[in-house]
Amino acid sequence: MAEFLQALAQGLLIGSTYGLLALGMGLVYGVSGVVNFSHGDFISLGMFLCLALYSAFALDPYISLVITVPLMTVIGGLVYWYLLRPMVGHQFLMVVQLTLGLSLVLQNGILMVFGGQPARTPSVVESKLLILGDVVVRVPHVIAFVVSFAMAIGLYIMLRSTDFGRSIRAVHQNAHSAALMGIDVSRVQTLTFALGIGILAIAAALLLPGTPIQPAQGLRYTVITLIVVALGGMTNFVGIMLGGLIIGLSEAYGTIYLSDTLGMLLPYGIFVLIMLFRPQGLTWSSSR
Amino acid sequence: MRQEFYKTLTSPVWLVILVLAVVLPPLLPSYYLHIVILALVYVALASAWNIVGGMAGQISLAHSLFIGTGAMLSTALLLKLGVNMWLGLVISAIISGVMGAMIAWIDFRFQLGHLSFVLITMAFAEMGTVIVEGWDFLGGASGLLLPQDKGDFLAFQFGGGIGAFWVMLVLAIVSILINVAILNAPLGYYLRTIRDNENAARAIGVNILRYKIAAMVISAMLSSVIGTAYVRYLTFADPYLLVSPIIIIEVVLFATVGGLGRAYGPAFGALLLVPLGEILRGKLGGTLPGLHYFIYGVVVIAVILMSPRGLLPLFEKWFSRMRPKAATSK
Repeated sequence: MAEFLQALAQGLLIGSTYGLLALGMGLVYGVSGVVNFSHGDFISLGMFLCLALYSAFALDPYISLVITVPLMTVIGGLVYWYLLRPMVGHQFLMVVQLTLGLSLVLQNGILMVFGGQPARTPSVVESKLLILGDVVVRVPHVIAFVVSFAMAIGLYIMLRSTDFGRSIRAVHQNAHSAALMGIDVSRVQTLTFALGIGILAIAAALLLPGTPIQPAQGLRYTVITLIVVALGGMTNFVGIMLGGLIIGLSEAYGTIYLSDTLGMLLPYGIFVLIMLFRPQGLTWSSSR
Repeated sequence: MRQEFYKTLTSPVWLVILVLAVVLPPLLPSYYLHIVILALVYVALASAWNIVGGMAGQISLAHSLFIGTGAMLSTALLLKLGVNMWLGLVISAIISGVMGAMIAWIDFRFQLGHLSFVLITMAFAEMGTVIVEGWDFLGGASGLLLPQDKGDFLAFQFGGGIGAFWVMLVLAIVSILINVAILNAPLGYYLRTIRDNENAARAIGVNILRYKIAAMVISAMLSSVIGTAYVRYLTFADPYLLVSPIIIIEVVLFATVGGLGRAYGPAFGALLLVPLGEILRGKLGGTLPGLHYFIYGVVVIAVILMSPRGLLPLFEKWFSRMRPKAATSK
């Protein structure tokens, strides 16, 4: 039972950060139809920026956010404006290939600067534990859980009740009509992409304490993110957070109750089954 | 329409390729021969993928399963059970074909959208990687080492180097010719109809399931055979190279950048990008780790921004622009 509860806590905590990783991608997909295969490498970039700030100024990852979030937001905006915007209207797969090229550039740019050795970025809360009865959880995971859900709620409110949020929803529903209503579609798409990458900077700092990082990890994060976004129906915020929790839980239970290989297969198996038997959860399939 | 295919077969270009293939390899330093062989491997793989990804418009990332089966299973059968590699090639190809048919059936049965198909095949590819790395019979995470290539043809050995070159050249040409044949056969028209409008295709009575399975099985078996030949050339069956999602990402990249759905597009992309990547690696590999991939990534981005429809269509446009000028100057 203790094992069961431990896995439950672990899965929920990790899953919430997966959800946060996926929110940005879902937002971008909803507004510009871009599936960003360099998503995971932007997470890497966020993590290594924190590492750089720690090595240079001994900044804690949570404090580095003050610098990394604006920086990544600007990078995201520039990437969309100069690289992805010219591809609007071209084949979906070409855009995907472009983000793959970007992934190569980011991953190897990081490798050139930081080298290929796994690195760690210490934080004050890194080794702190929270003990609730039989369940032991790490404080960074609790922080990540709380912040992830706070961010999800914040984004939801922003989309509901600010002008920028309304313009995002308008472009999502019908870019053509939105343009006729006087919304600058390219601008909204660029800002959304920038926002999506900015969120990743936060997610990166949340995931960082206690996690060894290396430049080649990007693709793994991209795959997890894609799976979570797809489970959530691509653009549905509640669905995406739920998808994150499902993948987090299946990873946690898979590694505890099944052999190594089977445990690693479990999240993918669950993903395939859900995709096949709950297509109604996939809101985009009916509209495409 | 058959005539198109026969016209391709009797084209004088083959003679040029044959002469080049006989004359060049013995002259090339082994490093450049290696690059040529690699380029041919990817020409073959990208063309095989094109049948599903380009013509039928189904962006399958599950092809690493077929390449991996061809490579790892045939090697495991030889090393663990003493099965002749020719037989292993056939067994692997059949298993790949069955897997391909199952994936096509799943796609049809559950009416997957484009994006769901990409993601589900990606999940299959990831599962394949996990299974190979966790299963000792297929070599686990450490891979398998084939016996040295002594040039015994009956044991699927071609003597490395020039022998491997000929095998890959044949596979690449076969792969391209299958593309040309399908494009000019009813199957090619059905596939493009399905790609462009599946509902319309269904409405005019195209048997969607049958043609989707046909395309996937042909493509899967071809990929598997290429995988077997590739591993024989490499000698070391490395799961991180042959079953990884990276190999299929590369194949899709070459096919897309070259020109999807064209008979020669994917081959063109592979012929340009593989040598570029290898030469960058050779020149810069020893300097700063990551530098050659970094430049490669920049080139890929630049090429895509320059020719968002693919390189082959771009070159055709340039060529057709140059031609009238040449004609008028005469």
